[in-house]
Amino acid sequence: MLSERERERYKRQILLFGEEGQEKLKSAKIFIAGAGGLGCPISLYLAVAGIGTLTVVDRDVVEQTNLNRQILHYDRDIGKKKTVSAGEKLREINPDIRVNVIDTTIDETNVLMLVGNADGIVDAMDNFPTRYLLNEAAINKKIPLFHGAIRGLYGQATTIIPGKTGCLRCIFPNAPPKEVFPVVGVTPGFIGMVQATEVLKYLLGSGELLANRLFLWDGMRSHGEEIAVTRNPSCMACGTMRKRTRKKP
Amino acid sequence: MRHHEEENEEETMKVKVRFFAQFGELLGTDIIVEPASGTVLSGLIKEIAQRNKDGYNAIFDEKDTFREFVILMRNGKRVDTIDAVTTNVVDDDEIAVFPPVAGG
Repeated sequence: MLSERERERYKRQILLFGEEGQEKLKSAKIFIAGAGGLGCPISLYLAVAGIGTLTVVDRDVVEQTNLNRQILHYDRDIGKKKTVSAGEKLREINPDIRVNVIDTTIDETNVLMLVGNADGIVDAMDNFPTRYLLNEAAINKKIPLFHGAIRGLYGQATTIIPGKTGCLRCIFPNAPPKEVFPVVGVTPGFIGMVQATEVLKYLLGSGELLANRLFLWDGMRSHGEEIAVTRNPSCMACGTMRKRTRKKP
Repeated sequence: MRHHEEENEEETMKVKVRFFAQFGELLGTDIIVEPASGTVLSGLIKEIAQRNKDGYNAIFDEKDTFREFVILMRNGKRVDTIDAVTTNVVDDDEIAVFPPVAGG
């Protein structure tokens, strides 16, 4: 049940979703992997939208070079754990939600435990190896993975629904090389909002998701487009071939 | 690219090649070409990419094969870069070449 205060807080979006929709958001648990360029705007907007439980994982400490885009971290937070800095701001901006922060490195030994009983995973990582782990966790738990990535003024986003859409490995079988990527805050801001919108639609069961659609954003030309993606039957992560038992000689 | 050795009366094809993100910055975003019939996808992209050394090197490695992360689409359908050497382009094809981005 929504409290009187919540009804007021969410009044303008209850016009969109109804109280029933708002209740759905309140009872949702979303796992956000990363409190950086993507993770900051995504968690901020999911917090103010009233997602009942947000879990934010990050392993880093706030550095001066983060401040052009990681908008939950302020100048005074330099040297602080990103999880601590993000947790403070999120709880302050919406005390009516639960915010869990976990200061750790996501790896293959802890990813399933960290994701726990979340209803969805938001990919706010800055590298493909960890994204592939999130992808496998999403497949394992049969929950969606809301993918986003950026570089410079370019970005991409898609929503992966295990069993229904191609997975991250189907779409990107090989990781692009590691680099110190150029970035200005507006790009993760923009792509993060695409991801956060996907989360809301998924939880509300409304609209049309970026399912089997890869959204590509070119901020330099203010041009967005999408390309169709599909499941790869021999995908090493989700392929139907993968689980087939080995033939006996 | 237009006509090779023989000036035969082959029908000319028009193919659109679209480069995305960094590839587009180096090679141009929308390129219309008229390849000879029998041109394969990889050959077509190589020929265009050769216009700019950095563009070429962004897409192809030292062995002139596609870098493994490069994504190729033909008329909205994914083409494995390994199959691009045997895939002929045909009139009205729209080819998209793009690098996934990885930052966050």
